[in-house]
Amino acid sequence: MFPQSGRRLNRVTILFASLVALGFIIATFDVRSDTNDVGNVLREGTQSVFTPLQKGVDWIATPVVGFVDGVANLAGLRDDNERLAERVRELEAQVRATDALEEQVLQLQLINGLEIPSELSTVAARIYASGTSPFDNVRYIDKGANDGIVVGQAVVDEDGLVGRVDLVSANDARIRLITDPVVAVGVRVQSTNETGIVSGRGDGPLRLEMFRATEPIREGALVVTDGSRFPPGIVVGTVARTAGAEVGFVLRSEVTPAARLSEVDYVKVIVGFSPIDAELESNTDTPGTASTTTSSTSPVSGDG
Amino acid sequence: MRRSRIVIAFAAVVIAIVLQTTVFGAGGIQPFGVAPALVTLVIIGVAPYIEAEYHILLGFTAGILIDLIGSGTLGLWAMTLTVVAFASTALRARYADSIVLSIVFTFALTLGGQLVYVFLGTLFGQETAAEPDLVPKIILPAVWNALLAYPVFWILRVAFRPRDRSWTA
Repeated sequence: MFPQSGRRLNRVTILFASLVALGFIIATFDVRSDTNDVGNVLREGTQSVFTPLQKGVDWIATPVVGFVDGVANLAGLRDDNERLAERVRELEAQVRATDALEEQVLQLQLINGLEIPSELSTVAARIYASGTSPFDNVRYIDKGANDGIVVGQAVVDEDGLVGRVDLVSANDARIRLITDPVVAVGVRVQSTNETGIVSGRGDGPLRLEMFRATEPIREGALVVTDGSRFPPGIVVGTVARTAGAEVGFVLRSEVTPAARLSEVDYVKVIVGFSPIDAELESNTDTPGTASTTTSSTSPVSGDG
Repeated sequence: MRRSRIVIAFAAVVIAIVLQTTVFGAGGIQPFGVAPALVTLVIIGVAPYIEAEYHILLGFTAGILIDLIGSGTLGLWAMTLTVVAFASTALRARYADSIVLSIVFTFALTLGGQLVYVFLGTLFGQETAAEPDLVPKIILPAVWNALLAYPVFWILRVAFRPRDRSWTA
């Protein structure tokens, strides 16, 4: 038992103090380092060891967790079903209207000789693991460099932007969610067409800061990516709080993410739009091998 | 004997990390949106079975592994779990033989660990203390750990002392 003697206590206390000091040094190094290549190599190595175990347990546990969830939510399923059926009818009507509009746009583009943008290529991936604590904002997906995924690419689901690719190995990748405090995304408020930046706060609504905003932004206004690094027009969320521009102050508000980040099981990585940092890294990395990323703690400018 | 106990303790940590990131990860079992802190629970649970030095080293190693898998600054969980291991080593004589005290100490040590992490995260610029829903993220893992303490500690007891199925050491 502890402590059995003064000498033992002394030895244990010295070890404890040394390890805390070591942790402090590691944390300082991680925060201060610009590229943090050592940290990223260690992260990739650790993840490659855990990946087979996580995939195995996920494969076994997913049906069980789904069954438990299903039983727990049985009472609400009937209401959900009716609500969704109504929603499907509304959306079908919207699709019919949108089809007609798309046809008109296509004809106008052809008449005016405009280049029609091609659809972006995506790679569908399944999330098999997440971080270890409620303060983590990462997800691991089962597609990697061998599928054309590189660091910096946008990750979306059917509702909108989920995050950015943060770390890539041959067959797996890590996504840093848009709620992570170190992720910042260049955005445009559709109603005013003005640009700004949203950044994560760890959870819940995102922080929105507008550049040189002259018009107020209204609650419910759609916020999309501005196209500086991520493809333009990806839905990020909606403005959560109306805010007006005041002379001399940055316009600040909040954005509710469109993607339900805590419930995402499958995502799409947009591989047809190369982000600037990914292009730079692809010049130095060998295809098919692990590529590294920015520091885990360094704020990322622009889209991510 | 000593080596086999360290191997068992390390294996328990690895299993806890895998379960934490999958079964209790995002989209998994998270009552009220927050999962139990399984690795912290295992660090507290193995305290009576391994020597103090090895236990503190195990806490540091488990923390580094969590840091490497998570998104936070490297070293924060290492420091946090080193503190938890040190505290649980110091207190193990008081709780190891009583299930009620084990549950109480598990709650207190997990809560302390979460608070230490929030403090360190804020100190190193992660804005952890400014996160929305901070209070549930600190308290709920301690509550879930207290509820899981009995079954998890029983499994650990069986693993470390296969012939001794009683709670009393």
